Amino acid sequence: MLTPLFAAFLLLQQPGHRTIAIDERLAEDGRISIGDRLTISSTPGSLSGDTVIVSAIVKRGADPAEIARSEYRVRMHLDHLQKVAGYGDRVDRFAVSSRGPRTIDHALSAINATAFGFQAWRSRDIAVETSRTFQVVSRFHKAIGLITIVASAIFLLCIMLLKVEERRRDVAALRLMGISRATVVKGIVAEAALLALIGCALGVALGWVSSQFINWYYQGIYRTPLYFSLITPGIVSLAVGLSLVLGIGAGFVASLRLVRTPPLTLFGR
Amino acid sequence: MTDPQGSDQVNVVEARDLARDYDFGADRVHALRGVSFDIPEGDYVAIVGPSGCGKSTLLNLLGAIDQPTRGSVRIHGESVAGMSDRNATNFRLRNIGFVFQRFYLMPTLSARENVELPMAEAGLGKSQRADRARELLRYVGLAHRERHRPSELSGGEQQRVAIARALANKPAILLADEPTGELDAKTGSEIIALFGRLNTDGTTIIVVTHDEDLASAARRKIHMRDGLVVDP
Amino acid sequence: MRFALAWSSLRRHGTRTLLATLGVAVAAAMLLDMVMMSTGLRESFRELLLSRGFQLRLAPRGTLPFDTDATIENTTGIIAKLRANPAIVTVSPVLGGTIHVPVRGKVVTSAALGVNPLVQGDYELLSGKDPKGRDDIVANDDFLRATGARVGDTIEVSAGYDPQLRTYAGSRKMVVTGRARFLYGAAAQLATAMQLSTLQEMGGPDRRDDSSLFMMKVRADAQVESARAWIERAIPEVSAISTSSALAQVDQRLSYFRQLALILGTVSLFVGFLLVTTLMTVSVNERISEITVMRALGVSRMHVVQQIVLEGIVITIGGATAGLGLGLVTARYLNGILSSFPGLPVAIDFFLFQPKAAWVSLGLLSLSGIAAGVYPSYRAASLPIATTLRQEAIA
Repeated sequence: MLTPLFAAFLLLQQPGHRTIAIDERLAEDGRISIGDRLTISSTPGSLSGDTVIVSAIVKRGADPAEIARSEYRVRMHLDHLQKVAGYGDRVDRFAVSSRGPRTIDHALSAINATAFGFQAWRSRDIAVETSRTFQVVSRFHKAIGLITIVASAIFLLCIMLLKVEERRRDVAALRLMGISRATVVKGIVAEAALLALIGCALGVALGWVSSQFINWYYQGIYRTPLYFSLITPGIVSLAVGLSLVLGIGAGFVASLRLVRTPPLTLFGR
Repeated sequence: MTDPQGSDQVNVVEARDLARDYDFGADRVHALRGVSFDIPEGDYVAIVGPSGCGKSTLLNLLGAIDQPTRGSVRIHGESVAGMSDRNATNFRLRNIGFVFQRFYLMPTLSARENVELPMAEAGLGKSQRADRARELLRYVGLAHRERHRPSELSGGEQQRVAIARALANKPAILLADEPTGELDAKTGSEIIALFGRLNTDGTTIIVVTHDEDLASAARRKIHMRDGLVVDP
Repeated sequence: MRFALAWSSLRRHGTRTLLATLGVAVAAAMLLDMVMMSTGLRESFRELLLSRGFQLRLAPRGTLPFDTDATIENTTGIIAKLRANPAIVTVSPVLGGTIHVPVRGKVVTSAALGVNPLVQGDYELLSGKDPKGRDDIVANDDFLRATGARVGDTIEVSAGYDPQLRTYAGSRKMVVTGRARFLYGAAAQLATAMQLSTLQEMGGPDRRDDSSLFMMKVRADAQVESARAWIERAIPEVSAISTSSALAQVDQRLSYFRQLALILGTVSLFVGFLLVTTLMTVSVNERISEITVMRALGVSRMHVVQQIVLEGIVITIGGATAGLGLGLVTARYLNGILSSFPGLPVAIDFFLFQPKAAWVSLGLLSLSGIAAGVYPSYRAASLPIATTLRQEAIA
């Protein structure tokens, strides 16, 4: 990044040229460095225009709206852009900061009542409106998550049933010895709980590793500092809680089925 | 070895110096120590002896479901020792009929389907094997039970179905390992009678048994002790 | 006989078989959905792009069609240049804008397209006539509902709104001549179309000869790329986009969904395989003595394996068949969610059913069903017969 001293030095060297800042993506793709001279124009394909000097390279923000868009960002002085684009004394919007949260409402109504041809909004409301795309993606992910949970419940029940049935002769022997149904069920459920706990730990570790990979991979693909996957304590708690409930529940259902069968039938007689 | 039928009889089984060892960790157990005998066609032999003398091991070797450590065994002139798994399997299918102590019927198939199983494997057509299965079930007195599953049959009936199954592909010999072991005395005697009838009709039978009645029903006995054939 | 044995074995443990089949159905549904999603958007978009036969599109340089508010100046000159190329058969210019219609004290805002009705490729007329006159307008049902207008009605239409001055650059009375379905319209989006020159006039002097997009038909598919290259040289202020490059752009922007489809599809397949493997292993372990006796009777190892693998295939195919129906239902549900992407043409489906997708899913699952049964059955069929029978007897 350019130091103020160096920027001042460049300005002194090229008194007739304005300066611009470009984003890191443009700098990388166009192999542009600080101090390079560029020609800018608002006419596509034009070879003539304003000559400018690149005085800074700007990091791209973690803006979801920029994902998968291959646009470049250039920052210019307002009057310079107005001149180049032929806008005249126009802007698209003003960003306004108020003295504090309590003054926002007053400021909003004052601006909307006073200004001619303006509409003022809270930044938050704009963010909500522009993030509709990500709300759709979020709903989609939730739907996939729901389907996964239903599928997992079925798989767990099936596999637990199989594994518990594998031990039906052991269960039959215990029952013939006089061990009560409740004790047998408790034993199987305890095993299922232990398996579920181990599975949870492995799952959380796998999820964390996957999350790191996903962020590394997509940040590289889309060239953004945005985080695509975030594991929060809430998410971990939900996953662990659900897994335990499903695992223990499946073990309970499977064991109940077994202890209700007469022991001799379990022996195959 | 002795040949009670006379020297012009064809031997179905010829065993020479049969031995079988098992390794259990560092220990080596000599289940059979060198057994030799002949069994002519149409014979009915009972192999008797105390538990652990090697009777069942001998039967397994004769039935080509196990391989000897030493020695040879020829069934119908064909050497079964050293056969590949594929050849031994095919040999068993066409030449050996097995009857087990625990019947080992397929629980999900009917009596007729159980009898058809070896014939299906041998490639017989559907109607052909159905007809033969019915014929065999009639022979063992279970024609009226052909559609019943093993769980719907008594122990004796299950064993008779097992015998019918063993006869499916017209084997050279019928091998039976304690066929009356899981049956009560009355049912056991029915099975003994059936074996007698089979032998009268020409089937060569070798049984391994503790059952004195079954052993007495055979034409001759081979006594075993500690892995060897001994005089009684 | 083998099938009879396999079927009777499955029926013996009905609940287990049913649950496993249900598990496979869920895996199959997920797999089908992911296969559909991996190709659905692309195919759906391709069908849309080619629905009217236009193989090339021109947009302001560096942009995609209607991606920004930028326009192309000198429409007349550009059309003349394009028509000079004999490979280009049809040129359809389109200008995008916004119109405002006062209705009972409020103003209804709608998207508007300025087109040449003779060669347009943006809407399908459902009833009435094309806007052949300067004051004619066609609209979709959402617009007609919002304004209360019907075909034949005259409405007041304004365009070129200046928010600073709160005035319009152009207003006129227009007659609704037809009802149309806009091919690229988003769900519930109000849309209208009129003559290109009408919308240009209403947009003010700055838009006199502007277009947002040109759509073109080329004489033969083989000439598309050469026409594209020619245009980029001859008209530097535009970007020429063929169907394939548009699809490539979409692929790049929505690669996330393809990758998600691949990952979830693989996981579904693996879980389905795991389920059937577990079932087969447990089932085989329970039947070791039966299997060994079959071997003792003379049933070959291969036939034992075939019989058990057949059980796995029955579960897999049964599950896959049920999963087909379930997959179509869940695809509809998921498609409903994704179709609400802002600005997405309603004609676009993320999940497009293609028979190939179903066959691919079924094929993959069948292979996994076979693989799941092979190892446990081969292992069981290879056990030493005498030893196993003795051990089973003791057990």
